[in-house]
Amino acid sequence: MKKLALAGLVVVTLTGCSSEEEPKVLNLYNWSEYMPQEVLDRFEEETGIQVVYTTYDSNEAMYARLKLLDESGDYDLALPSTYYVNKMRKEGLLEKIDRDKIEGFEKLDPELINLEIDPDNAYSVPYLWGTTGLAYDAEDIEGGEVTAWEDLWSKEYEGRVMLTNDMREVFHIGLRVLGYSGNSTDPDEIREAYEKLTELMPSVRTFNSDAPRMPYLEGETDIGMIWNGEAVMGKEDMPSLEYVYPEEGTIVWLDSFVIPKNAGNPDAAHQFISFVMQPEISALISEDIGYATPNLAARELLSEEVANDRTSYPTPEDLTNAEFQEDVGDEAMQVYTRYWEMLKSGQ
Amino acid sequence: MHRVLQQPFKTAVLVLVWGWLLLLVLTPNLLVVGASVMTRDPGTFLSLPLNLDSYRQLFDPLYLDVFLNSLYMAAVTTIFCLLIGYPFAWALSGLGKQRQTLLIFLMIVPFWTNSLVRTYALKLLLATNGLINNALMGMGLIDEPLKMLYTEGAVIVGLVYLLLPFMILPLYSVFDDLRQELLMASHDLGAGKLSTFLHVTIPLTLPGVLAGVMLVLLPAMGLFFVADILGGSRNLLVGNVIKNQFLDARDWPFGAAASILLTVAMAVLLLAHRLSQRRLGEEAQT
Repeated sequence: MKKLALAGLVVVTLTGCSSEEEPKVLNLYNWSEYMPQEVLDRFEEETGIQVVYTTYDSNEAMYARLKLLDESGDYDLALPSTYYVNKMRKEGLLEKIDRDKIEGFEKLDPELINLEIDPDNAYSVPYLWGTTGLAYDAEDIEGGEVTAWEDLWSKEYEGRVMLTNDMREVFHIGLRVLGYSGNSTDPDEIREAYEKLTELMPSVRTFNSDAPRMPYLEGETDIGMIWNGEAVMGKEDMPSLEYVYPEEGTIVWLDSFVIPKNAGNPDAAHQFISFVMQPEISALISEDIGYATPNLAARELLSEEVANDRTSYPTPEDLTNAEFQEDVGDEAMQVYTRYWEMLKSGQ
Repeated sequence: MHRVLQQPFKTAVLVLVWGWLLLLVLTPNLLVVGASVMTRDPGTFLSLPLNLDSYRQLFDPLYLDVFLNSLYMAAVTTIFCLLIGYPFAWALSGLGKQRQTLLIFLMIVPFWTNSLVRTYALKLLLATNGLINNALMGMGLIDEPLKMLYTEGAVIVGLVYLLLPFMILPLYSVFDDLRQELLMASHDLGAGKLSTFLHVTIPLTLPGVLAGVMLVLLPAMGLFFVADILGGSRNLLVGNVIKNQFLDARDWPFGAAASILLTVAMAVLLLAHRLSQRRLGEEAQT
């Protein structure tokens, strides 16, 4: 009954997505604006494999979709953030990566492989890493030295703050401001963070995880959260957009390639990972979208300007108090979820 | 059987319609009902045992607040649609046939564009650097741009814009059926314009009003993308809560129960509509 109901729901909710049976297609499921078109074009040119690019704007949405499609093999590659790799690996949602088919793995930063989320990288290959920090428009925030998450609570920014539409990240800053770990699983700490965040809500104009730079560029918000790559891209259009590593610590994440279970074309997936691992391609990606590549050979190819840009490549001091996002488990997630709903409902 | 063979076309249409309803209306709704009485499961989305916890959860003050706020926004939307749609439909019905066709055609043209795209277009109008602010500042009417985007007002503008045709069309059809003889008779019997309007026009167009209200009020509570794009991704509508349950919180039973709440509300409105029609029918006969 359960399976039947599920199967039915799948059909009903996902009628738009019929599976592609052509062998020469790679179904890539990725964050929006997270892969330069040039890379896709060159991959198609070199291998003849057509890339079908589908996007998501939250780990939750990606996870729910993959979980739902479970055995359909509609996607060949996805890019979950740090702790979601762990979660999906443990739940058996991923195929093992065949290291023999991956070229250039040895060029990866030793500090970013063999992490707790995936020992020996049996299921994941790092793509890019980045930080979530503070952004402000230097033209509109006069004289105010913005240095800490706490500054967002300042009354003068009422109605001008933007937060990412990401439950864990928003609670991360609430927890850090109170001096707790951003990965807290303690219901009392989470409640306190929620109470702290309710004080921030009157200042919050919008939540955005599609393209967090846009509300700044559009003039809707002047201060708030942003991903570092978005800050780099945003600065090209608006030079007054500044990126700050907050005193309480920035949020660090690592997005990795994974192959969902029963992927229709795992060979193409391996080919694509190898293609991206080429130093020249990794460097191109990092320069184009502003996130940091874990590929050490690629870092040597970066232009001076990018390699020395602290927004993309933080110094060790910038990462003081920084925390990696970790899986907090389903029980804590439900506590977070409930408070998140309350925050967004204005309570 | 004989008749079936005689009317193959009619039979085909009936089979198609019933098949459509069974497959695409009844089955999905039964699945939603089924999901709503199951238990949340982080691994498989749904699991046994069956229970009514999700419905109990609807009475949680948190969600009750969202529901009431959503109802309020939908009600304001409906009132605006009615205030614009009623005079519009009235005026429309008084025009020549050709002009009527043209105006209705113009009203339907926007439907050819996806509503999501049209909502983004509205965003460009309402934004701080948007067309409206630029125009007002260009004319020197305001010095500082108005903060219109990401407010409840912006969401209501979006809802009215998207749903207005659904108010106008049923109203137009009742105005079109409104027989001029009845209005003339009212005048002949000495009723003034206002009196005729209150005692003849309004009662006779009431079914259209109710139909319009039904087509606007409930959908308004579900159009989550309008609240996402124009309201800054807050939980302003029941639709946002439902979407979050399915996509982010992965609490399918609760999401299903919340959508059933909307279905039940719709059923109540339908019933009211039926009753009002019956009453009017009886009056017409006596």
